Amino acid sequence: MSAFREGLAEIFEIPPAEIGPDFSLIDNNWDSLAIVSVIALVDECENLMLDGPALAKCETVADIEALIAKARGD
Amino acid sequence: MGEAAADKPGYSVPGVALRGVVSALPARRVTNDHFRAAFSDAEIGDVVKMIGVEARHWVADGETTADLCQAAAVRLLERLNWAPSSLDALIFVSQTPNQRLPATACELHGALGLAPSCQAFDVSLGCSGYVYGLWLASTLILAGCRRVLLLAGDTVSRMVDPADRGTALLFGDAGSASALEADAGAAPIQFVLGTDGGGAKNLIVQGGGFRAVAVDARRGEAYNPDHLFMDGGAVFSFTLKAVPALVRDTLARAEVGVEQIDALVLHQANRFMLNHIAKKAGVGPERTPINIDRYGNTSSASIPLVLTTDLAERLTGAPMRLVLAGFGVGYSWGGAFLATQPLGCAETLTL
Repeated sequence: MSAFREGLAEIFEIPPAEIGPDFSLIDNNWDSLAIVSVIALVDECENLMLDGPALAKCETVADIEALIAKARGD
Repeated sequence: MGEAAADKPGYSVPGVALRGVVSALPARRVTNDHFRAAFSDAEIGDVVKMIGVEARHWVADGETTADLCQAAAVRLLERLNWAPSSLDALIFVSQTPNQRLPATACELHGALGLAPSCQAFDVSLGCSGYVYGLWLASTLILAGCRRVLLLAGDTVSRMVDPADRGTALLFGDAGSASALEADAGAAPIQFVLGTDGGGAKNLIVQGGGFRAVAVDARRGEAYNPDHLFMDGGAVFSFTLKAVPALVRDTLARAEVGVEQIDALVLHQANRFMLNHIAKKAGVGPERTPINIDRYGNTSSASIPLVLTTDLAERLTGAPMRLVLAGFGVGYSWGGAFLATQPLGCAETLTL
């Protein structure tokens, strides 16, 4: 998951250390541009295609990671 | 058709040659500074980082897609030394016609002085429209037409909401004209085409039609139905799913490896998306021309605009093996593999 978290840090333009499960997306400009960036990031890191509307409902990094686990069939 | 292989999606159309392409841009060039009145530098910076658009050309009041396409057509016919009376068909692909009726193609037929025996009709497609236009032109030639003029373009700037930063900066205006001709010696053009109507509501302008405007919770109360609505996340996921498969299917249809093509010409949707698709398709940046920085997303004109800008010199100088891929509004997509002989003309006009 580390490549994923590094990618997230790049998208939100913050140091990777600040990306934890509780990192709030909604307080950090979680708009359509951020969402499509995350879709591409997950496609690249995990070879999984997340659903845009489901991703838009995520509020924290943990929510995204749960969505990835679900898409993976964990 | 041709040597159609039953196990592969798509079609082969033999006996059709692309002779030339001209694109036409409106005179008014709009850089990102234009948007500083409406958005902060940070807001503009975010969008530009993603979409990659630095400048685009926009039509003036009263200037339409038909005007751009007409200028491109006049130049193309002149360069190829084709008499207007020698054309058998004119296809106008656009979602920004002059009016609801008659078909803009009929007006252009008159303006270009084409023969009464020349058929003319409109096709309402956007991002996939150029590939569909090539497909239609090619099948008309297979059915007996000798020369077909394909006009494709859009003026999406006339439909965007200036307050919606996701779309306001993205689109540019352009028109194009392509000449196709019967040629028994031409290598077959391979096509893969598809549609997913479930995506219709994700990229839409509801105004101007005849069905009552539907309520959609994703749009604000103040939504103007004459403005373009785009669910960027939904369109993006569709693209990432559909386009790598489209490129793969088109190559399989043509029985060529990805390393054998000279260029992958993608609809210029968004730079971030293009880089991602090129990477997934296994084509390096040197074979995936991108001009969205200079012209924005020009809808149905984006593929011919790449042909007449970044690839013009090579297309007129040597044979090329190209994969073209258009995808988006509909959802609709089309891929084409064509092996061109040196074109008689590939140029870009700025009006």
